[in-house]
Amino acid sequence: MQSDSSTSSADVSALIGRVAKSDRAAFASLYQSTAPKLLGVVLRILNNRAWADEVIQDTYLKIWQKAEQFDAAKASPITWMVSIARNSAIDELRKHPAGRTTNDDELDQMAGQQSTAQDQLEDQQTVTRLNHCIDQLEKERQDMVRLAYLNGWSRDDLASQFGQPLNTVKTWLRRALQEIKGCLES
Amino acid sequence: MPGIMSERDDLDLQIAEYVLGTLPADERNALSARRERDPTVDARILEWEERLSPLADAVEPVAPGPEVFARIERVLDRDDSNVIALRRQVKRWRWSTAITSIAALVLVAVMTFQPQPETATESFVAVFQHNDQQPAFLLTVNLNDRQLSIRPVTAEQKPDKSYQLWIKADELGPNPRSVGVLGDQFQIDRHALSQYDPALLREATFGISEEPPGGSPTGQPTSPAIHGFLYPAGDSRDNNSD
Repeated sequence: MQSDSSTSSADVSALIGRVAKSDRAAFASLYQSTAPKLLGVVLRILNNRAWADEVIQDTYLKIWQKAEQFDAAKASPITWMVSIARNSAIDELRKHPAGRTTNDDELDQMAGQQSTAQDQLEDQQTVTRLNHCIDQLEKERQDMVRLAYLNGWSRDDLASQFGQPLNTVKTWLRRALQEIKGCLES
Repeated sequence: MPGIMSERDDLDLQIAEYVLGTLPADERNALSARRERDPTVDARILEWEERLSPLADAVEPVAPGPEVFARIERVLDRDDSNVIALRRQVKRWRWSTAITSIAALVLVAVMTFQPQPETATESFVAVFQHNDQQPAFLLTVNLNDRQLSIRPVTAEQKPDKSYQLWIKADELGPNPRSVGVLGDQFQIDRHALSQYDPALLREATFGISEEPPGGSPTGQPTSPAIHGFLYPAGDSRDNNSD
């Protein structure tokens, strides 16, 4: 996964390593190269700029604290950071579900889902592979997976939108995830 | 042929839903806690994060305004790295106010020994500190008679502020409750905790915040509370000396 085209994954790992030693300059660089991506992700989930800003602040403070725990052998650095951001955003959303307004754009986005082009061949392959695997699912299941991951929709939201009982949503999601995993491993 | 899911598969899909974000809140919280102590679960979570993260490439980046990083830096400037390090250890509650949920520090109460029934007094000391070196306050609680006292160590009285002591415990709900406002000699009603069960006090978290004179006008901390660790007082000597 890419942050901006000028900061490679290895660079980001190196910055995290320095942040783990309380290097404030490295932390500022890390923020500069990664914050737009993280804010985009969080904003998509919370749909509210002020709320997203708060979560981003919280996220980078967590990154500052947890930098020591990052292990480049176990995770890619952007994924690690995006996960912290996403988890915070979803935690917030689950605590204050009424705080988020849904709009019809979200559903329209699902209709014309395109992944953005990537510079590096490796990343392009990763994006293509996952999207290829998701595209193997039935359309409704694809939408459920994307709405959940990108927009932070809960099982309740999905059940409501797609007119299915909660248990069905759970089954569909798990089956979809299982198929995605199988497809990626094949 | 419909397979019988092994427990392992079931856990793996639960983890997948956790990463996706769709686990119900109780399961989500449980898994979140479990990963802290179970490296296998943590590893599985990281695997699913890698699998699904390319989806996030579809999201357009959004540049934050300059005030966002400015706020982050202010917090880092204010807390020193020891305090941040202490936050890592804390698993319990977060103090939060409407505005400062990020800046609020976390308090923890740690019970580290078994009470001995023969002991005449069961005294615990909470050390409130800004850094690892010098405590700001010492709070002493005797669990037998629930009397408390507060002694400043490095804390200074400020002319336009009052210090206020708070208690937080599961049984009391999600918000901290005021114990009392300290006087200008750091006095506090020594019976202010007498309404609380010793069992609750043992597990409770204490905090001290700076408030306007006379205490918080809102009934909740209006400034980040500094944190305290509860240690056993050590022996049967009575620590209430005032």
